[in-house]
Amino acid sequence: MAILGTALNAVGLVFLTHAVYSSHEHTTTFANAPLPLDITIELLVSIFVLSAGIVASSPQLKPIQWAKWGGKIAREGQHGEGRWTREGEEILSEGEPFAFLGLEGIGGNGEGRRGFWDVRAKRKEYAEWAKGGAKN
Amino acid sequence: MAHPNLLTPPTRIPPKTALHLSQKAPLVLSSAPTSSLPWPLSLLFSRETPETWAIHENLLLAALRTGDDASARQILDRLTTRFGANNERMIALQGIYEEALARDDKELEKIFNGYEKVLKQDPTNFSVRKRRVAVLKSLGRTADAITALTVLVENSPTDAEAWAELSELYARTGAWGQAIFCMEEVLLIMPNAWSAHAQVATLHYLSATSSIPALTLALRHFARSVELNDSYLRGYYGLKLVSKKLIPLLSESSSGSKRATDEDDVAPPKLQSVKKLEELATVKLGDIVRQYSASKPGQSGYDEAEVKAARELLDQDGRAR
Repeated sequence: MAILGTALNAVGLVFLTHAVYSSHEHTTTFANAPLPLDITIELLVSIFVLSAGIVASSPQLKPIQWAKWGGKIAREGQHGEGRWTREGEEILSEGEPFAFLGLEGIGGNGEGRRGFWDVRAKRKEYAEWAKGGAKN
Repeated sequence: MAHPNLLTPPTRIPPKTALHLSQKAPLVLSSAPTSSLPWPLSLLFSRETPETWAIHENLLLAALRTGDDASARQILDRLTTRFGANNERMIALQGIYEEALARDDKELEKIFNGYEKVLKQDPTNFSVRKRRVAVLKSLGRTADAITALTVLVENSPTDAEAWAELSELYARTGAWGQAIFCMEEVLLIMPNAWSAHAQVATLHYLSATSSIPALTLALRHFARSVELNDSYLRGYYGLKLVSKKLIPLLSESSSGSKRATDEDDVAPPKLQSVKKLEELATVKLGDIVRQYSASKPGQSGYDEAEVKAARELLDQDGRAR
């Protein structure tokens, strides 16, 4: 779809530029004559092709129903979209919007609720893991 | 997710992931994000983006967790020169750094007193108030942490994070009623949060594993959570678990004398609808398990342990029939 969209956009732009140039040239040469039919047709066709190209190359739409949108996030998880920051971290797609509440069960060990982050417990967990041979 | 990411860290960070994250420190620290040129030029040649600072913050936490204190200090200094030492968030980050380096409870108490001093100057600094609660929790003084949190939510009743934390603390002490109340406050703030509904349901289920009103409420909230997210593994798992418990209880009570349920306003659901819900949950769980095993590793959004648990629940069911 991306290639098709780009191709349509390119063709449409070339024809639109040509049509605009032709109409400009025509009006400067014959100030009072009406625009010939071929230029009008070229203008309309190029605009149609360009519009089709823009629609085809637009990003995929998100589901507009909450349940479907949530389901999509749950099924697919976060994944990269081919963009990176300067530090070399990939910019990921939308993740679970309520993960910051850390509600994955009682006594969970998640990373939610950053404001209450217990640094000493996490440090201890890591130290024990490292002491135990750093497995899995 | 194949690679641990500093910009959007995963929701669960086991030690191995933490190590991977903190190993990115030399790379991030090798290039300065801010320009060293004088003022007007520094604006033009600055290399920082909003993501830069999110990455620095996450890296700071990862470095502290893995004991890479030297890198943590460098990152903290960078953040301090950028945002100033009096920034609300910076005070909290500085506090986290000191907490991590505290060797015993006595030093931690000192840091706690430092927080009190900051709060005396500016009682509206919520980051520090939350740090205070975290220190109390770390010291094992859960009752004090709960008291501090109740004051906090009284002053800021729309803070969903604080309500969720309070609910967790109550649940840890076994005060289910209070825990459920706090989670319901979270629901008032975020009525569309499927994980909050699942959490309320879990609390109802844990509070009384064989009473019809509690199980009914758990069933309702699990049903709402899958209504809000049509592929929510935890929701379907809970739905199946609760309905499996409810079916024998309901058929017993309906065959016996018709008990008056006036004292509690929770009307038990119809046996047929519970059976239908159980069937639906079984089908959906089966779909999720199948989809997970068909997908490549790292491609699916589901957690491996959760899928395994779902598979076990389904297997149990298959053996019983």
